[in-house]
Amino acid sequence: MSITAETAKQHANDPAVLCCRAEAGTELTPANFEDPAIFPDLVDSGLLNLDGALKLGQVLNGSKLTKTVDSLTPITADIVDKFDAAEGEEEAPAAAEEAAPAEAAAPAAVAAAPAVGGYINLHIGEGKNIDIQIPAGIGGGVAAAPAAAVAAAAPAAAAAPAAEEEGEAVVVREMTRKHYKIDKVVLGDETKIEGTTLYIRKAAAQEGADAQKLVHSLELDVITPDNYHTYTETVMDIQPIATKEDDYELGEGVTRVLDGVVMMVTGITEEGVQVGEFGSSEGYIDENMMWNRPGAVDKGEIIIRAHAVIDNKKNMERPGPIAIHTAVDHVTQEIRNAMKKQLTDEQVVDTQVMRQVRRPGKKKIVIVKEIMGQGAMHDNFLFPTEPVGVLGAKPNVDLGNVPVAANPLEVMDGCIHALTCIGPASKEMSRHYWREPLVYEAIHDDDVDLVGVIFVGSPQANTDKFYVSRRLGQMVESMNVDGAFVTTEGFGNNHVDFTSHIEQIGKRGVPVVGFSFCAVQGALVTGNKYCDAMVDNNKSMSGIENEVLACNTLCHEDAIRGLAMLKAKMAGESIKAPERKYTHAVKESNVELIEKAYGTKMELVDNEQALPMSEKRKAKYD
Amino acid sequence: MENIQMLLKQGAVGKPCAPVVAVGDKVKRGQLIATPTGLGVNVHSSVSGEVIEITDDRIIIKPDDEQPEDYVKIAKGSNLEMIKEAGVLGQGGAGFPTFIKIYDGKNDKPVLDHGYILVNASECEPGLAHNIQQIDEDPARLLRGIHYIMEIAGADKGIIAIKKKHRETILKLDALLKDDPAIERHLLPDIYPMGEERAVVRECLGIELEPDKLPSAANAVVINSETVYSCVAAIEDQKPLIDKNLTVRGMIKGGSEAHVFENVPVGTSVQALIDRAGGFDEMGYGEIIMGGAFTGKATTLDAPITKATGAILVTRPFRDLKGAKVGILVCACGGNLERMEDLVAKYNGTVAHVCYCKQAQEMPNGTRKCERPGNCPGQVKNNLEFKKAGCEYIIIGNCSDCSNTVMASGPKMGLKVMHMTDLAMMAVGHPLYRTLKVSKKVDQDLDVVDNVEDNETVQ
Repeated sequence: MSITAETAKQHANDPAVLCCRAEAGTELTPANFEDPAIFPDLVDSGLLNLDGALKLGQVLNGSKLTKTVDSLTPITADIVDKFDAAEGEEEAPAAAEEAAPAEAAAPAAVAAAPAVGGYINLHIGEGKNIDIQIPAGIGGGVAAAPAAAVAAAAPAAAAAPAAEEEGEAVVVREMTRKHYKIDKVVLGDETKIEGTTLYIRKAAAQEGADAQKLVHSLELDVITPDNYHTYTETVMDIQPIATKEDDYELGEGVTRVLDGVVMMVTGITEEGVQVGEFGSSEGYIDENMMWNRPGAVDKGEIIIRAHAVIDNKKNMERPGPIAIHTAVDHVTQEIRNAMKKQLTDEQVVDTQVMRQVRRPGKKKIVIVKEIMGQGAMHDNFLFPTEPVGVLGAKPNVDLGNVPVAANPLEVMDGCIHALTCIGPASKEMSRHYWREPLVYEAIHDDDVDLVGVIFVGSPQANTDKFYVSRRLGQMVESMNVDGAFVTTEGFGNNHVDFTSHIEQIGKRGVPVVGFSFCAVQGALVTGNKYCDAMVDNNKSMSGIENEVLACNTLCHEDAIRGLAMLKAKMAGESIKAPERKYTHAVKESNVELIEKAYGTKMELVDNEQALPMSEKRKAKYD
Repeated sequence: MENIQMLLKQGAVGKPCAPVVAVGDKVKRGQLIATPTGLGVNVHSSVSGEVIEITDDRIIIKPDDEQPEDYVKIAKGSNLEMIKEAGVLGQGGAGFPTFIKIYDGKNDKPVLDHGYILVNASECEPGLAHNIQQIDEDPARLLRGIHYIMEIAGADKGIIAIKKKHRETILKLDALLKDDPAIERHLLPDIYPMGEERAVVRECLGIELEPDKLPSAANAVVINSETVYSCVAAIEDQKPLIDKNLTVRGMIKGGSEAHVFENVPVGTSVQALIDRAGGFDEMGYGEIIMGGAFTGKATTLDAPITKATGAILVTRPFRDLKGAKVGILVCACGGNLERMEDLVAKYNGTVAHVCYCKQAQEMPNGTRKCERPGNCPGQVKNNLEFKKAGCEYIIIGNCSDCSNTVMASGPKMGLKVMHMTDLAMMAVGHPLYRTLKVSKKVDQDLDVVDNVEDNETVQ
């Protein structure tokens, strides 16, 4: 497409290629030229050979064509009457490692070019900047635009709640988590906790199943660390086992949680079809579980596996997963009841005081989390009575997927019971919200004032997607924030509303940073000019949905990069465009810049390569 | 003789008129039968006969067996009054009332201030012949008409924009223009679009108007040559606009040559015109287009022509794409999305992706206008999108220049390019709109042969 004078200036050092046929004698103007942003695709497809091409900056000074030439012809010396000498080649985009700002606190400046078609073109402005990759535009096959992080001002990784050190911070509310150690789980005739042993009444599972018409059977078993090489059907959810003390609601008072044990929900149909859509994580647990992800099992924990068999064909319909989760919760609730009655303060091994703090005067930010709401098995229970419970919750599909506000403590107290069964590697399990890294990092970041968290469902129909997206934009507008995060899980269909959310917020003048798995396989199917700052949650080596549970979900390292990026954006810095094809290098250079700026070391999490290779992964992916 | 159907709305713009006759009334050829209720022009019966039916949108008249050559004359008055009374409207496209276009009735003053009357004799749509034939037959009448309109509109200068390829007609005009210093001619290249009114302004006056601007912003009025003749008929012959010249062409028995019919009564059916041309070719046909191949619409055999109808084109039969994925490139020069989707359906294709030409700006009324008609903004980005969407074919409606650009990358990417006018162009024996081999500029000296084959690609 022809370009403007402004674009031509930005691309002064890029090759000059005619967008259209132009006749001999034509004095060249920006309107004669194709946008350099799409050249890489053209070169790849053999449509363009840039050898010998002059640069835009060389031919916009009154140069005239001496020959009539067709569209996509690069301007070479032999077809213009004159051209300016080449200059400033050294000014070509600076590499990412080109030094972080001297002062640690200054956000790196990053220069962003507008999104053009499929890609957002980033190039670094003035040397003191950093690379960011942004997936933009057009889906399908070509150029899975990678996302990556930015620049500078990374917050010190704080282990203690920031509120305690921040004089000016205002504590809005606080909540206590009491931890109880479990090192043995026994299936028996009664549900009880004795010392550090959890006994579960085996018959509770069948009772749970009997109450659900669609559930044929529900069986419990216990998988201990020495038995991690156990085959399992696809993992539908990983849940903390926790309960509220007294009549406290989520996000307040006291929560009791069992350490060392988690609930794992698995499911198949009678025919043996996995309850899952884009891939499923069945296989040996030690080969398919990305240990220690926020949503996953931590290595060393005991897994209580609740395995359900449901009606045929119900694996892809909403009532199926709902029935499974409800049946499992019958078991969990019995454990919760035992916790309420039997646990005493003497058994507490750790106490965590969690505070929601506001920091008046600091940049106000909001976290928007897009959760799946397409129906089928894409649903979430919102705000149950118990942490990650079922009772008292409303499915977000039934709420019309409209945005719902939560405070950070509610999020980390299990206000989301996740039913989503999208690609296992990028799915956010219930446990993910319980340990949500972005909420954690944001609330501990002294530079920002986290106002709250908004959950917005991702409906199936595009009209509904834009409906909820518009409501979200209005909600964010009314919050008067300085910046926003938008996260999503999975990829594909949900990217339509994900990018629309970013647009709705961005067009109100609020800087936005997005988080998604994109990489190679999950490139955005759509985009807009506000999608110019994106953090890619990919951890997999090949940039794919590798069916390893929680591999590509949002981790602390992503949250830290996102915060740095948002701060840069809120400071008015623009962000450099990504490479055309996904590369880990952008993330690495961003991490490096953050480390340099703060003098801290960022520990990056492992990926699937740290796990024993499964037959499935060997055959399908790596 | 078949019944005549006088539509109450004769142009694409404006409101339907209100009948001033009743069922059972005897009407004479030239008699006023409907008057405007808003933007519109008088409608006169094109035949003598009896009103047999009045519906929401038309008056149906059963003609007498004997039809007079003559007609009921409009009343004498000022030139402007007679143009208004005669129901003259623009015959280049939308059918805007001429008396409003050339005179500002609200403020009772000419629309121009020492401005220009630009006569669109480009015969822009490919395959048409009736405009140039009319000029060729009586160029002096055109010049008289231009003077009438210049006087009404407040113009000092008239410019006739005509394609350089019509050499014989231009020579006749030149002979007359020698002695008429107020009028000159401007030669146009033979590419599409040249008749878009802002293109005419740009070509003649060198002023590039924004899409939402009217030629008046350049102190000019653009008027189709046939409309000028209708004004002369109103003024000199007191004749209402009841007869129409048009071109019938395409899959007609006897070949692809143009059938130019002059003085066809408005309200005549498509069927009658095709019969008059010789009937359908035995090979069959795809669709019947009322209007030009770019901007016309698919019509039916029983549809009547209006005062604004310029052509009936019968296309080649449709190809069967067997459900293949088709990308649609919508621009302002050709069909709108609805028209393009209709074509894809007729081709038995599946619409897989839609792109809009960068320059096709949407106007407040939902139509699109090109920012720089005939000058391409580049198309490769759209082609990349089509490719990504998995299209096997793309259908375009672009101008000569943009089509050329689409061709520069589309086929190399493996996209099969179709132009919406292909079946009509094949049927009329016109080259398909693909690559551009002629210059977009022509020398204004009729005797200078322009460079037509300098289209090298340096690579």
